[in-house]
Amino acid sequence: MKRIIEIDEENRFAIVEPGVTIGELWAYMHKNTPEWAPPIPDGAPPASTVMGDAIDRGFSLYTSSVGPQGDNFMGAEVVFANGDVLRTGSWALPTAKPFYKYGLGPDIWSLLMGSQGTMGVITKVAVKIYPHPEFKTIVVWGMSNPYDMQNLTLEIQKQEFGIAHNTVMVQGGNYPLVMTRWPKDKVPHDYKFFEEMGFSQWWMNFECWAQTQEELDYVTNRIDKMAKDYKANRAKDPDSIKAQELHPKQIASRLKKPNKIAVPYGLWDAGFLFITWYTPWPECAHFCEIYCNAMEKYGFPPTMWVASIERGRQAICMPIICFDSTKKEELERVQELNRETTEYGLKQGWLNYRPDPYIHIQAYYQAGMYWKYLRAFKKLVDPNMIMHPGRLALP
Amino acid sequence: MAKTGMERLEELKKDIYKCIHCKACKFAYSNEPDREGIGEFSGKQGKVLYEGMVDACPAGIEYGWEAFWNAGKMWIARSILSGDLEFSEEVRDVILPCITCGQCSAQCENKIRTVDIIESLRAACIESGIPMIDKHELVDKLVKERNNPYGGAAAERLKWAKDAGLEKFINNKDAKIAYYVGCTASYRQVEVAIATAKLFEQLGMNFTLVADEVCCGSPFFRIGAVDTAQGLMRKNLEAFKNVKMVYFSCAGCYRTFTIDYPKWMAADEKLPFKTQHAFELVARLVQQGKIKFKPNKELKGKVVTYHDPCHTGRHFAIDMEQEMIEKSNNLMMDSRKIKNAIDAWYEVPRVILRKLEEDVGIKFKEMYRIKLDSMCCGAGGGVRAGYPEFSLRTASLRCDEANAIGADILTTECPFCWRNLYDANEMYNHGMVVMGVLQMITEYNLLDILEKPKEGDFVTPSIRESMEEKPKK
Repeated sequence: MKRIIEIDEENRFAIVEPGVTIGELWAYMHKNTPEWAPPIPDGAPPASTVMGDAIDRGFSLYTSSVGPQGDNFMGAEVVFANGDVLRTGSWALPTAKPFYKYGLGPDIWSLLMGSQGTMGVITKVAVKIYPHPEFKTIVVWGMSNPYDMQNLTLEIQKQEFGIAHNTVMVQGGNYPLVMTRWPKDKVPHDYKFFEEMGFSQWWMNFECWAQTQEELDYVTNRIDKMAKDYKANRAKDPDSIKAQELHPKQIASRLKKPNKIAVPYGLWDAGFLFITWYTPWPECAHFCEIYCNAMEKYGFPPTMWVASIERGRQAICMPIICFDSTKKEELERVQELNRETTEYGLKQGWLNYRPDPYIHIQAYYQAGMYWKYLRAFKKLVDPNMIMHPGRLALP
Repeated sequence: MAKTGMERLEELKKDIYKCIHCKACKFAYSNEPDREGIGEFSGKQGKVLYEGMVDACPAGIEYGWEAFWNAGKMWIARSILSGDLEFSEEVRDVILPCITCGQCSAQCENKIRTVDIIESLRAACIESGIPMIDKHELVDKLVKERNNPYGGAAAERLKWAKDAGLEKFINNKDAKIAYYVGCTASYRQVEVAIATAKLFEQLGMNFTLVADEVCCGSPFFRIGAVDTAQGLMRKNLEAFKNVKMVYFSCAGCYRTFTIDYPKWMAADEKLPFKTQHAFELVARLVQQGKIKFKPNKELKGKVVTYHDPCHTGRHFAIDMEQEMIEKSNNLMMDSRKIKNAIDAWYEVPRVILRKLEEDVGIKFKEMYRIKLDSMCCGAGGGVRAGYPEFSLRTASLRCDEANAIGADILTTECPFCWRNLYDANEMYNHGMVVMGVLQMITEYNLLDILEKPKEGDFVTPSIRESMEEKPKK
């Protein structure tokens, strides 16, 4: 249960077992099929598994351009708690490759996506692989507020083909995203320090991959041209909008995959929690604004990470709550913050995920029919409720 | 009064709660999945792919279950603190087979002091009334009776010195410099003790071998028998109170005197002498151009590799890092300085090996996992005594890694590593020569003194101390 079973370059998928880490798959393909790369998470460390990222419906390198991580999986083999072994999509046919996710009509794989292992034990997955071109860089534009971040990014993402097609990864945030990676008594809290270091209050990274230098130049120039046009004509705070000049080492560091960038938030105090939300892209600035305010109200640094899904059709917003997890009262404060923001977020029609199940239930209460069918399916495949409940509000 | 294991565990609570089970701690080079290496090698312990991230937690590799990897042990510590788990013999049997090599700590982005946590957990386990395992009970009994865990007679401790014609250095009252030999080099790997003392003699150092020296206490700090360890510490502090500088040839003793003693001494007490490893002196003299090495036909062309002992490598590196973090006002600005200090520390033995390459004609070749990512030899943490088969399999894994680069000679700078690697080399037929670097210099008569070192050269503080100075704002 730790094997990379197959890399099929023609059909463009890889089949792996549960214990295969994203680091191992990345390294294997880097060595054996260097023109192809797996959709690994950017942030989840190399030691996390490909399948864990799938069943937790994570965010990956290609999520910005091709869609939610679920869309990167073509099928799975799953052992249900009732003893049945099922293959999904075209893979359900004994002779078929996992080439078509929806092969046999209604799709069961999507019911497992995001299940966090609550439905059954997944023993194999087929995951799409993507071209891994040689020419890469990062373009970063900074600004003073989340609205300019949102609107500029949306304009660029709306290009879909041409520019956005090669913009593999779009993610950004605010300066506390840098600050909270250090112990809170060992780093300045004042924005002035970060400003002097060259960080804008908010920024967006556009990670561009291309087959040729000309293509890469075209993409980066196009982004810069659009950013300048946005700054000149539509920006909320034009003076704050500026390209961030990156040192080649910074570019190399940001292009490094996979990486441990999401791990050291424990240094700030003694614990952290990513509370993931999905919003329509044009509403992510509103989300950032209310959530940052709420974090400050509850005494937490307003650390916000935002990434695009499917060229700005959705935003994945990840407030990172840095707190002292050894203290019960701080845990309660996190829960209160979570409860208050969830109530607000659900009213806006935003979706929460990776939640505290006691908070997450609020979403199911508002989508009762959906919950009813989820529970029915769960009962079908796990009649004695023996699977781990994960962090979902499912039995 | 010294703190109990449980009190220390409470002090480390924030570290324990920082663990998010990212599992970086399972791997060497946990952030470098596409690091280039030497590829797959079939060794005595099976196939290992020496590239990218490589499994590097000996206990995890040996036992496999989650609880045996570091993240599992952090969870156990957390559960003990929260009261969700009580100590039992079952818990003991999970927390003891860990070599406390510190690989997990080196990989941790949240800088969790895993070795301190595991040692405190073991101490708290003993305090709770859970008996030690039989083999640990035996060494604890032996050290209480004879001041060393091997059961050697006190009168025999310096027999090696008498046999080697070094008797004049025993209790040399004029000397302000001492060589702390340690139990392994005194009773088992006497080659290391002889080589080190003869090297000092050749260099013209006026040093003393303290007859009242006892076990440094390292195995007992490691297994949680802290009362025993502190008793030994007190005896050594008394025995060495009149010297200014203590030299070591054993990584574990050096670590214990330098890192553990100050932790366990009273708050207003200070270590009364400076400490450093003999290889630091040799490296310094090489850098100063005061010594070089003679060519040697027998060694010429031999592929020599170096195993970083965890106790001089990672444990010091992590301790330096923690100290520099503690002193820093702005870690964002100081982090590069910390990294540079750690890199410089790991270079010290390599200064000697590169000079040996230049002068003697050996081919110095690094193994895949080195420095902070070095794989442990399997001897530490009470594992060699408590779980000898696991210990030797781990040593054999390390020997496999040396075989993978075609090493003729596997060197190290710790008699305990030397012992374990030597035994695994013999038991599993790895076909190498295992020896200490200083031992090589002495046994092959390689030392060529260009300028006789002065007394001041011998009391120059360890390079470590200048690194730990307060970072600039």
